[in-house]
Amino acid sequence: MAVAALITWLITAVGGFVMLGLWISRGGHRPDSGTRLAPGLVFSHVGLAVIGLVVWIVYLAVDKTALAWIAFVLLLPVAALGFTMLARWIPARRTGTAESRFPVPVVIGHGLFAATTLVLVLLAALGVGGR
Amino acid sequence: MRPMEQAKRPVTALAGWYGHPLHPALVAVPIGAWIASLVFDIGSHLVHEPGFLTQGSRWLIGLGVVGAVLAALFGFLDLFAIPTGTTVFRIGLVHMTINLAVTVAYAIGFVIRGGPAGGPVGWGPLALSVVALAALGVSGYLGGELAYHYGVRVADEATQERGYETTTAKEAKERI
Repeated sequence: MAVAALITWLITAVGGFVMLGLWISRGGHRPDSGTRLAPGLVFSHVGLAVIGLVVWIVYLAVDKTALAWIAFVLLLPVAALGFTMLARWIPARRTGTAESRFPVPVVIGHGLFAATTLVLVLLAALGVGGR
Repeated sequence: MRPMEQAKRPVTALAGWYGHPLHPALVAVPIGAWIASLVFDIGSHLVHEPGFLTQGSRWLIGLGVVGAVLAALFGFLDLFAIPTGTTVFRIGLVHMTINLAVTVAYAIGFVIRGGPAGGPVGWGPLALSVVALAALGVSGYLGGELAYHYGVRVADEATQERGYETTTAKEAKERI
């Protein structure tokens, strides 16, 4: 379960970095870009997710249940920020801002893999289904 | 906004507000921990029962890696503030690359030092730390160049000048 969560987490991260790269390359993080995804939202989402992923890798290495719970708790604000950005992105699709041309499959895939990761992390923390 | 002014402003308040960047504050953690770790490494070859220094050194490396990852997250924010295609951005990229390599080297050092340690630190892990710390010195120099030479995330001169006004000059200004 923990290894499965690592795999879905990494796939989620790839999708996230694709969107982050597109957003930054189109200047979404500049003060005058008119982006609907505030830089604070984007970077706290990425930062907490990266910290969570590092905690998860350490959990896989040392197998302490407390670490799995820390990773799960870290993922809750990550998910909340992600849903906030999704809600802001949907109406922004026709505005021509940095995020308006995110490929829809990447957005949907990122969300689905993220939700799967959250469930797998919770199951692993609860000790369901072994490693 | 002028390119230089852009590099002075935080991309988001998360990076620390104007004139108070968080990245340079956080880098003190890995730099301090890793220097102390090397001192412990050398110390472990000088004392009679070196186990505590060997173990302490590994803890310091781990602390440094955690601190470096955190510092890196804030460093990326400051890198994104710099306009691309400029000399400053290229220096920023080199600074980032060396630091990431140094962090990986210390993470490897942490792993290869695993297991029960009663004796002094081995020469292999010690050499790895020396090389990594030397590289950290180079990237630290570049970080200093970014801040003190090119003023990345440093408040502009008009803001700085306000700190040098004497009270009498301020009062005179207010009277006018």
